[in-house]
Amino acid sequence: MRRLSAIRLVATREIRERGRSRGFLASVVFTQLLIVAMLLLPRVLGGDGSTIKVGLAEPVPTGLAAALNASATPYKLSLILRTYPDRAAAEAALKTGDVEGVLAVPADLSGPGEVVVKGRPDSRLQAIATGAVTGLRLVASGISPAGLAAAATPPTLVTLGPDRVTDDATFFLANIGVILLFYSIYSFGFWVLTGVIEEKQSRVVEVVLSTVRPRDLLMGKVFGIGLLGIAQLFLIIATALVATALTKSFELPATTLPTMALMLVWFVLGFTLYSTAFGALGALAGRLEEASNASTPISLVAIASYFVAIIAVTGEPDGLIAHLATFFPPAAPMVVPIRAAFGAIGPLEIIGSALVTIAATYALFVVGGRIYAGAVLGTTGRMKLRDAWRAASR
Amino acid sequence: MALEIAALTKRYGEVTALDGATFAAAPGRLLGFLGPNGAGKTTAMRCVFGLVRPESGAVQWDGRPITDADRLTFGYMPEQRGLYPRMRVGEQLVYFARHHGLSARDARDAVATWLERFGLADRTKARLEELSHGNQQRIQLAAALVHQPRLLVLDEPFSGLDPLGMATMSEVLRERAADGVTVVFSSHQLDLVEDVCDDVAIIRAGRIVASGDLGALKAASGRRHVDIEIAGSAGRWLDDRTDLAVVERSGDRLRVVADAALDLDELLGLARKAGPIVRFAYGPPTLSELFMEVVQR
Repeated sequence: MRRLSAIRLVATREIRERGRSRGFLASVVFTQLLIVAMLLLPRVLGGDGSTIKVGLAEPVPTGLAAALNASATPYKLSLILRTYPDRAAAEAALKTGDVEGVLAVPADLSGPGEVVVKGRPDSRLQAIATGAVTGLRLVASGISPAGLAAAATPPTLVTLGPDRVTDDATFFLANIGVILLFYSIYSFGFWVLTGVIEEKQSRVVEVVLSTVRPRDLLMGKVFGIGLLGIAQLFLIIATALVATALTKSFELPATTLPTMALMLVWFVLGFTLYSTAFGALGALAGRLEEASNASTPISLVAIASYFVAIIAVTGEPDGLIAHLATFFPPAAPMVVPIRAAFGAIGPLEIIGSALVTIAATYALFVVGGRIYAGAVLGTTGRMKLRDAWRAASR
Repeated sequence: MALEIAALTKRYGEVTALDGATFAAAPGRLLGFLGPNGAGKTTAMRCVFGLVRPESGAVQWDGRPITDADRLTFGYMPEQRGLYPRMRVGEQLVYFARHHGLSARDARDAVATWLERFGLADRTKARLEELSHGNQQRIQLAAALVHQPRLLVLDEPFSGLDPLGMATMSEVLRERAADGVTVVFSSHQLDLVEDVCDDVAIIRAGRIVASGDLGALKAASGRRHVDIEIAGSAGRWLDDRTDLAVVERSGDRLRVVADAALDLDELLGLARKAGPIVRFAYGPPTLSELFMEVVQR
């Protein structure tokens, strides 16, 4: 299969040359930083949701630390306890932010003591302190620790309707997903455009086309750059999963893995669709300076699709616009994964949408491939669509 | 194996680039493909590589239509030079060699051989854009040669070369032909073509107006050129002969175009009377003269 080996050679060259280019490395670093920042942002802004630092002022009643930790367990919180020589030292630590609250309880448990906070009190800290101090004082008054533990177990929380926490996480993940998909499809598609223009501008394309068919050259380019895009997306997803696991920013919804698998599939579909269009328009342009002009039609469609996905679909993932956009090939790659993340799309609709997108990509490849073939050898600068179409038939 | 261009016709809108162009290039021989700008040279060469599809006519290799497999054994150097500016020289040549069907190992060996030959072995890992203009031209030639092509088509290979580069180019082309390769190249440097080529094909407005063995073409020309220098004559001694066209006059020297049936003895007699002969050369037209003759006809 001579043509397959030509396509493979072209793809390999793209991977090797682009893979070690500064542009690709910068893009990898940028997206990694972006994803880590997005996952850490809620933590930095909202404080650490899963640990609380508490200062204890000496003298500390025996068993307070153990009682606090036991009391924190039902809240899925871990406490970091720091002991200070006196209340003034503990309050100084609170002021500098070393601790989030100070607990000052008489060593003989003669009184309930005080919880000192700065500004808004954390209701969980208040509840934990209450539980621990009350428990200690009850034990001191003669109740058996086992009896206390049994009596102190809080009622189980039962939620009716959607779980808001998971829903927030889904919304957040779906947004990151759409941004990533949009960024990946667009930036890697744009590379196909600049790659085509570079080959045309440097005239190397005539040498390559003396042995390779124009469509095969375009296909090899799309494959090679697409594989780099998949590699980057894999890296992003891996980083996101690891960062989420390490920081425990939020619990991942059950749909996370299927959603990410779907994202990869839709990256492939979306990238192939967009990069074919980019390739054809790139061949029409004469010089690299015309790249952004040449790509304007695609950019407009891509940005519109992105906003449809973000605004219309996240608002109403099962609404009319969401259903329509699912079968509009330029929007489908962003709309389908986001609807899937909300569990608002069935497998049949996903398959139907994928088939429509593949059919559109094939049609675009036939048309775009011909435009590419007709225009890529042109030497007269910017070429008109009609002229390119005619040139290919000759 | 021979390349045959048979009755190629190609139009671009109103412009006719090729109008039934026909000629053949034989193995082991260098063919100079000549013609004024816009005569159809590049279009004809592109037809050989399937880059342009003619409306009618055919390009044949070894007596049958060219296939994709045949093209892998061809080498091409387009008029508009082009390589990947940022790609490393060695990897770039290996890439082109592999597109011509060489295995990775054979490609690397062949690239090493050609880089050695052009004295660029130490630049294997350099990016193309880091090389001087002359060296980039050498890499371009190497890209056309690296897979040991059976047919070599070069569009203006001498343009932009310094004298040293030209010498290397002619040497390589001659050597390839001696190896049995069919070599076709276009050029405007007719003196150089005259020195290097065995055959020529001259194209004008899409039609071949002369083609074949260079010596035979010159001999078949109906005209003869006589170069005469007579000391102190000021070149005016032939002014009353209307049948002889003086095409060049400088000082005592004259260059005359005459019919092949010219009586040489009579002309020599006239010259003797005019003064002491310093130079008297008689022969067929040079390639430049032949070219002017056929394209202006």
